[in-house]
Amino acid sequence: MRPRFSPTALAGLIVPVALAIGWEAVVQAGLASGRLLPPPSRLFLSAAALVRSGEMQTHVLATLTRVLIGFAIGSGLGTLFGMATGASGVARRLLDPSIQGLRAIPSLAWVPIFILWLGIFETSKIALIAMGVFFPVYLGMLTAIQSVDRKLIEVGRVFGLTSTGIAFRITWPAVMPVWIASLRSGLGLGFMFLVAAELMGASEGLGYLLVDGQQMGRADTIVVAMIVFALLGKAADSVLVLLSLPLLRWQDTVRARM
Amino acid sequence: MKLTIDHVGKTYADGTEALRGIQVTAGTGEIVAILGGSGCGKTTLLRLVAGLDQASNGDIRLDDQAISGTHPAVSAVFQEPRLLPWLSVGDNIGFGGQRLTAPERARRVEALLERIGLAGYGKRWPRDLSGGQQQRVAIARALIGHPGILLLDEPFSALDPFTRATQHGLVLDLWRELRPTILMVTHDVDEAVFLADRIVIMKPRPGRVHEEMAVDPPRPRDRLAPAFDLMKRRVMRAIDRSLTEERPRDGTAQGQFSPWV
Ligand SMILES: Nc1ncnc2c1ncn2[C@@H]1O[C@H](COP(=O)(O)OP(=O)(O)O)[C@@H](O)[C@H]1O
Ligand SMILES: [Mg+2]
Repeated sequence: MRPRFSPTALAGLIVPVALAIGWEAVVQAGLASGRLLPPPSRLFLSAAALVRSGEMQTHVLATLTRVLIGFAIGSGLGTLFGMATGASGVARRLLDPSIQGLRAIPSLAWVPIFILWLGIFETSKIALIAMGVFFPVYLGMLTAIQSVDRKLIEVGRVFGLTSTGIAFRITWPAVMPVWIASLRSGLGLGFMFLVAAELMGASEGLGYLLVDGQQMGRADTIVVAMIVFALLGKAADSVLVLLSLPLLRWQDTVRARM
Repeated sequence: MKLTIDHVGKTYADGTEALRGIQVTAGTGEIVAILGGSGCGKTTLLRLVAGLDQASNGDIRLDDQAISGTHPAVSAVFQEPRLLPWLSVGDNIGFGGQRLTAPERARRVEALLERIGLAGYGKRWPRDLSGGQQQRVAIARALIGHPGILLLDEPFSALDPFTRATQHGLVLDLWRELRPTILMVTHDVDEAVFLADRIVIMKPRPGRVHEEMAVDPPRPRDRLAPAFDLMKRRVMRAIDRSLTEERPRDGTAQGQFSPWV
């Protein structure tokens, strides 16, 4: 059952829109310069300028490429390692303590060593993003596999499934919801690490736009970049949810969690 | 298909002796009910026959062929429906027919949906069904492969009396049609007398067979007939004997074993 659109959902817009209009009016009336916090009209003009010059597209493309590659690597490895340690006690005893140990290091502490190892260009940035994505996906997969209902596995055994059959037809669908939830939190962390990676020095990307705006004293550029970050993050998450929707149709809670 | 449970014992890894020297046979097409209170080892026994656990000693034979592990001819309905929530109702039924060709499976799914009163529900999700409906789907799933042996572990105990009576009728109908050998477990005397050809009364700690009796009233049975009541009373007397002949050594209250709590 699709929830109907409800007008009360619009209530959340009242405060930000009122603030934006209010601030615009204050600046237009000359009561404030709007230098540190540009009013909406100025933001719109800078955004339009960035789009017209093609700069915005270059930065968005660079940023998206990084986050997608990093996400693909991090979530792929997280899934594989989580499957291995979730399914095999030997793998869990061998690998999980080390992985948990690595997780205890605050991730940004890796930045210097990544730069030392991989240079300041793309590779180290993507590695950092991939690492941010890896841990939530790994943990999600591991706990999901371990908490698959033994009773459903027995159903598979009684009706003659082989262990491969059980893995694909029972374990996999059973872990799917948790796996997708962990991909979503991985993606969120991926964006966080993306910003960190781009702040540590980049010649393009939205993070570069942030640094550039700061150095040029252009608050409007910074705020525009922040807004675009928010939009990209939300869009990426929505794409993930839409892709997963057909896989999770059987769940009561899918729409509630969107 | 004939089922023989020959001197089967089971001691769990933690040292709990759940079953000792169980001897039960069920002839082809027969319905045998195992009656006993909680903790008698009824579920353990069915799990051994289903191949989900290994017996510590003794043999389980199908038509005189010893089996270990799961077997294509042995099917089960658990205490809970255990439907796979990511499969539609129809696919859940079809899941029981792993060895069938796709068209044959689809045909049987449709027929069974009709039989269990859920025609038109094939594309719904299990969560859309009531508990009783889910249990009927589980029964259909267990029967779609036309098993030689059907194991039922108190599948009706969670249902209200109205729903339960309907399910009893359904099981008997399907049994008449497919004639599987049924080994069922219950703590409900009425259920055992209504469904079974033979009743095996168990007592606990460790789970043993106390007494076996044939159920005389001819089918179709009438719950209101005097013969039915008489039979029930005989079973209850046997249960009383199982409770009094040997008192628990550890001095716990004996009411704990009462089979109809
Ligand atoms: N996996 C297990 N490990 C250890 N003891 C068990 C296990 N399963 C059941 N038991 C014990 O075996 C006895 C019989 O249990 P069960 O077969 O579930 O009885 P019933 O189905 O008749 O209620 C009980 O004492 C129970 O605690
Ligand atoms: Mg039980």
